[in-house]
Amino acid sequence: MKILLIEDEKDLAKSIQDYLKTNDFVCEWVTDFSLALEKIALYDYDCILLDLMLPRGNGFDILSHLKKLNKSDGVIIISAKQNLETRLEGFNLGADDYLVKPFHLSELLVRIQALIRRKKFDGNNIITFNEIQIDLLSKVVKVHGISIDVTKKEIDLLLFLIGNNKKVLSKEAIAEHLSGDMADMIDNHDFVYAHIKNIKKKLKNAESKSYIKTVYGLGYKWEDE
Amino acid sequence: MNKKLLHKTQRAYLVFSILLFVIVAPLFYVLSNKFYIDEVNERLMLQKSDFVQNSLSKLKIEDISLWNNFNYAVEILEPYNLKKDTLFYSTSFNKIEQENDRFRVLNSPITIEGKPYVFSAKVNLIESEDFLLSIILLFVCLILLLMLGLFIITKKLSQRLWRPFYETLHQIENFDIDRHQKPHFTNSDTEEFNRLNKSINDLIKRNLAIYNNQREFVENAAHELQTPIAIFKAKVDTLIQRSDITEGQSELLSSLNVTISRLKRVNKNLLLLSKIDTEQYNDTETFSLQQLIEKQLGFFLEQAEQKNITVTTTFQKDILVHANYGLTELLVSNLLLNAVRHNLKTGTINIAISHKTLEITNTGNPLGLKEEDLFNRFSKSSNSEQGNGLGLAIVKKIADHNTWTISYTYVANKHSFLVTF
Repeated sequence: MKILLIEDEKDLAKSIQDYLKTNDFVCEWVTDFSLALEKIALYDYDCILLDLMLPRGNGFDILSHLKKLNKSDGVIIISAKQNLETRLEGFNLGADDYLVKPFHLSELLVRIQALIRRKKFDGNNIITFNEIQIDLLSKVVKVHGISIDVTKKEIDLLLFLIGNNKKVLSKEAIAEHLSGDMADMIDNHDFVYAHIKNIKKKLKNAESKSYIKTVYGLGYKWEDE
Repeated sequence: MNKKLLHKTQRAYLVFSILLFVIVAPLFYVLSNKFYIDEVNERLMLQKSDFVQNSLSKLKIEDISLWNNFNYAVEILEPYNLKKDTLFYSTSFNKIEQENDRFRVLNSPITIEGKPYVFSAKVNLIESEDFLLSIILLFVCLILLLMLGLFIITKKLSQRLWRPFYETLHQIENFDIDRHQKPHFTNSDTEEFNRLNKSINDLIKRNLAIYNNQREFVENAAHELQTPIAIFKAKVDTLIQRSDITEGQSELLSSLNVTISRLKRVNKNLLLLSKIDTEQYNDTETFSLQQLIEKQLGFFLEQAEQKNITVTTTFQKDILVHANYGLTELLVSNLLLNAVRHNLKTGTINIAISHKTLEITNTGNPLGLKEEDLFNRFSKSSNSEQGNGLGLAIVKKIADHNTWTISYTYVANKHSFLVTF
């Protein structure tokens, strides 16, 4: 999978690149507006991560440019701007998702995955991890072909964990992911523990392997040893 | 003691009028009395000199009793030890009017056919009591008329003169620095009021500029912090992926994660607070408050569950709110979060909607901070580690923005926030 990262903050870009690299993504990175336009014209990307405030140019112009070229690359805007107008303008210009800085890299990763899924596998919305099958449309989770009773939140958590396969997820990252728009409201992340406990139990009852590992002090990790 | 401007002027006039009356009335009485007596004295003297010039030489001693009989108010008395003209008062009883009459009398030594006699002339004085009474009556009437006139004139005049002042006052009273409506002062034809208006205008302009600067500063600062926080967060996210982390290090990283989350929240809330001030939330719609709350409830029920808190709702009558949806959502969620956060283990929360109010009540320990500081930024009780002290400031700001009122009470170990829409 090829990703183009358009971001002028070197340190942030480096971290994103590193994080995505270990997840079978090829992430190209440009800092410059004109370079970004050049890349877009030459190559096709599965996903473009776009910062709105760039030196010598506005991220929105890149969106319009993409439209002009009739490109169907998925675009996720990553910006410090969080007001509604900017968001709406981004979506109007063809962006697929909008992630407000600061964000967790794990969150970015699942957003990219979701976007690519939407773009590539129309109709086929089933995610499989060994014996676990998640149907995104009907919201059904099957273990060894038998569906188990899970809540919407638990599916969300499962997707987040599987999406970040082999990655350590901090309690904060999970909490923010699960709370969605309310993420900024919460300061008590204890509910993550309850959710993890529940999903662990349900998977165990369905005779799935225990993939969820507790990483001491930090959080959790989905891993098939 | 606050008095109205008009009353103050009128009181001054009243005091002045009474003072005038008290001082001038006796003075007037004394003076007019004096002039009157002088006049009487003069008349008596004139009478005497007339008598001396025209009648004295013809008068014989044997005619005296006859002369006395034919003249009223003048008589010739037997001589006594009188050296010169003497003026004095005397009283005699008047049988007709049944009262004492006062007289002014002149006794003057004269000589008739070489023998000394006394010429006596008298004038009946107007009764002083009547005189005094008339003067007082006249004065009271005058003062009353004066006061009435002054009252009406000042009232009419003040109303007209001070109208620009009251208009200005009204404008300032309605001015709210958050509401972007500068007061508009109308020009009057009074120089002082125009000066007042101009000064207030300048003052407001200056303050608005400072206020906007401050707000922009907070917004810019918060905005500029976003990127470093993002980098920080990303770096920690990358760091925790390493497999060689020791237990000690992971504890440090974990607390770093908590701190970043907090930093992010404070920053976002600050940004939000300054944004409510700008026109960014001015698009409004009408929606059901109950539905809004029900939509959010799930999230908070989950949060409440962690502390074994029971949440109950009493929706008596739904309220249709006309406001910005996002902001109202924020107000409600901040209040609910507050109720969860500052609650006791196995406590309760009640959400009640009735007629025009939303009341959120929760069990909890008494307030750790002063009640008047409750809605201020960054004021929080020392015993709570959670929270960033911005939640209620945001609630207050949103309420102010929509001209809703919010009040807080603590009764029977229960905190209660009441929003009146």
